[in-house]
Amino acid sequence: MEDTKEVSTLQATSILISTIIGVGVLPLPLFAVQSGDTGAPIVTLSGIVLAAIGLFILTFLGVRHPQNTIVTYNENIIGKWIGKLCSFIVIIFFFILTGLAAREFGEVVVAAVLRETPLEVTVIVMLTLACLSARNNINTFTYIHNFYVPVILAPGLIIVALSLKNGNILYLQPLLGSNLQDMFTGMLTISALFQGSFVMTMIIPYMKEPKKAMKASFWGIFVSGGLYLLIVIATVSVFGPEEIKQILWPTLELARTTAVPGNILQRLDVIFLAVWVTAVFTTIFSSYYFTINSIKEVFSLKDHKMLSYFILPIVFILAMIPQNLIQMYEIIQFIGKIGLIITIFYPGLLLLIDIWLSWRRKKSVTQQS
Amino acid sequence: MLHNNHKIALLLLIFLLLPLLSGCWDSKEIDKRANILAIGIDEAKTKEQKHEDEIAHFKNKLPISNEKMIKLTAQIAVPGRIPLGPEQGGGGPTNPVLVIPVVGHTIDDALVNLQQEVSNPLFLGHLRIIVLNEKVARKGTQQINDFLRRNPQIRRTANLVVSKEHASSYMKVNPKLERIPSLYLADMIDNLSGLGKFPPSFIGLFWTHLSSKGQDAYLPYLSIKGKDNIQLNGLALFKGERMAGKTSPLEIGDFMSVIGIYKGGYGAFSMVPGTDTVVMIGTKTRRSRIKVYLKKGKPHVLIRVRYECEIDEKQSQKVYIANSGMVKKIEKEFSGSVEESIKSFIKKTQSKESDIFGFGEYFRAKLPKYWKGRVRTKENWEKIFKNDLTFNVKVDTHLNRVGMKAK
Repeated sequence: MEDTKEVSTLQATSILISTIIGVGVLPLPLFAVQSGDTGAPIVTLSGIVLAAIGLFILTFLGVRHPQNTIVTYNENIIGKWIGKLCSFIVIIFFFILTGLAAREFGEVVVAAVLRETPLEVTVIVMLTLACLSARNNINTFTYIHNFYVPVILAPGLIIVALSLKNGNILYLQPLLGSNLQDMFTGMLTISALFQGSFVMTMIIPYMKEPKKAMKASFWGIFVSGGLYLLIVIATVSVFGPEEIKQILWPTLELARTTAVPGNILQRLDVIFLAVWVTAVFTTIFSSYYFTINSIKEVFSLKDHKMLSYFILPIVFILAMIPQNLIQMYEIIQFIGKIGLIITIFYPGLLLLIDIWLSWRRKKSVTQQS
Repeated sequence: MLHNNHKIALLLLIFLLLPLLSGCWDSKEIDKRANILAIGIDEAKTKEQKHEDEIAHFKNKLPISNEKMIKLTAQIAVPGRIPLGPEQGGGGPTNPVLVIPVVGHTIDDALVNLQQEVSNPLFLGHLRIIVLNEKVARKGTQQINDFLRRNPQIRRTANLVVSKEHASSYMKVNPKLERIPSLYLADMIDNLSGLGKFPPSFIGLFWTHLSSKGQDAYLPYLSIKGKDNIQLNGLALFKGERMAGKTSPLEIGDFMSVIGIYKGGYGAFSMVPGTDTVVMIGTKTRRSRIKVYLKKGKPHVLIRVRYECEIDEKQSQKVYIANSGMVKKIEKEFSGSVEESIKSFIKKTQSKESDIFGFGEYFRAKLPKYWKGRVRTKENWEKIFKNDLTFNVKVDTHLNRVGMKAK
């Protein structure tokens, strides 16, 4: 391993925050309202809780194996070949996730801002940025995230605060807007937006105090989930559930409607989009880094730098697969739900086997003595 | 050496990407754009319908009949003639805007036709106001909304208004207070909201109300007075996406009382009890509280309004407002007359099936069981609003000041 400084708990938290907050903020209120109606905040909250459970399982596993990441320590738990197979699936999943995030970014930019610029250009610029940055070591990775966290959080909070005065509390009532089945689907969709938190497994081995990883996980999901929840509350209370169903990216629309008092800025979408590009970059950067880092570890390679270029075309092609925006969102929601098996169910299973193994080991030790 | 090569390669890559970063495809100089500032939409007359050439579609090959054709009048800013600072003396009477009428079957169709007549690309990012002729509004706004929602250039804070006269004449009026007519029009709506003369109104809010199941939308209703003056003439009431009626200007005040817009802007005459003198009472602030109940299975609304008022004017010198007992009496009289006025106003909206107050939203939010069992859709609510809804209004007036004049 190269000479790297260790990642502090605070830095780990900020990596999580900036990784989680990404391209998903834009359609978030739409997803929440489609399944929860006026109960959108509750749906969001339950999604956050589900995502938090997944992350805690993953962190707990990581703390038990503080030297490795999930793609290597799983071999100790479920055997070498099954372990490698599972790791492949994880890697492929993150390939797709990176590609889809880049594509979603491109679609928003082409539809809302740069109407004439070809989609391929925006996607490839974003991916190249991630590709070049991913050649750095884990320290630079940490610094980049740490640097951008305030830039990502502050404007989001400002938009929420300024727009809440136009809010109508009636739009948030009744608290349970739809039936439980719809809310459950919504919970899965929302929780899929938090899949970036899986990078935690990669950070734990580099942490100064891996034991405090749980704390980082908690605050990471608390802050990012809190922001998501606030955005849902603000958007639903300003537009109302019925209107949100008519808008593809309600959060962007909220920024377009909100004005800074005193006619300084009549619409905030310019600031919001600039920030959002940063947030998308950090997310894609994380999943990109995670992908190549995992490949490196599965094949026990020394260095991940060269891989960075090799996977760029693959990710780009993956990003170009959806034929149109509607198909893209169908794929994103489908992949997101499959991803829950990978990011929550799979670590859960590993943890159970791991605990069972160590319990058996302990038992055999006591029997011998 | 290898390291050096690597650096050069990276440098080349950066230079290769640099032009991409600027997103040049979308760069357009501001004076090369045709900035549309305002749009007026009318019904196309039979004579005008023939003006359309085969641009977006071939003749008679569209499922939309010619009777539904619209006439769109666009006000386009002429580059270089928009004054930036306060107006300087001198200079000829140059018109800062260009007004072009086109016809089309839909709003986008009309804009495509318009582009065919203008050399620079049309840009809607500075669109401040859209004027709908009353006849168009009565036929339905859905098709217009669809285009405006889809187009990313449109601001949600743009204004949408309904006009009594032809919308095209609003594009041509030349108000003296501002060089650019459309800005005057748009500012007028915003400023009147600030003065408490009109509830907040912009296109995003209109859409929100339109989508809400328990509320109907409203828009400002304008009319032209004299040659170049525009008057806020009332509220346009909507039933679903169609305009259903209009109110008088004073009823805007009643409406704002019910929904509780804090800043008061309207005044009303009130009799001084026991005399034949009237005083003008100006509202300073209003507050309202709306409660909803079910009375024997039928929806019932209780509206409490609280006014803070001031006496602005007294008609005759014969009567003195000398003691607090007198003030109490005036308060009571005023409350009573406002109550009557609000009641008749709500009845009027009921007859139009237009719940602009959003009472339905209260029922949806507070009594979800009733809503899910009996109402569910906007159409049902409009019927219930008309036939079943009962209400009670309680007005509480506080006359705090009488101005600077004693007695």
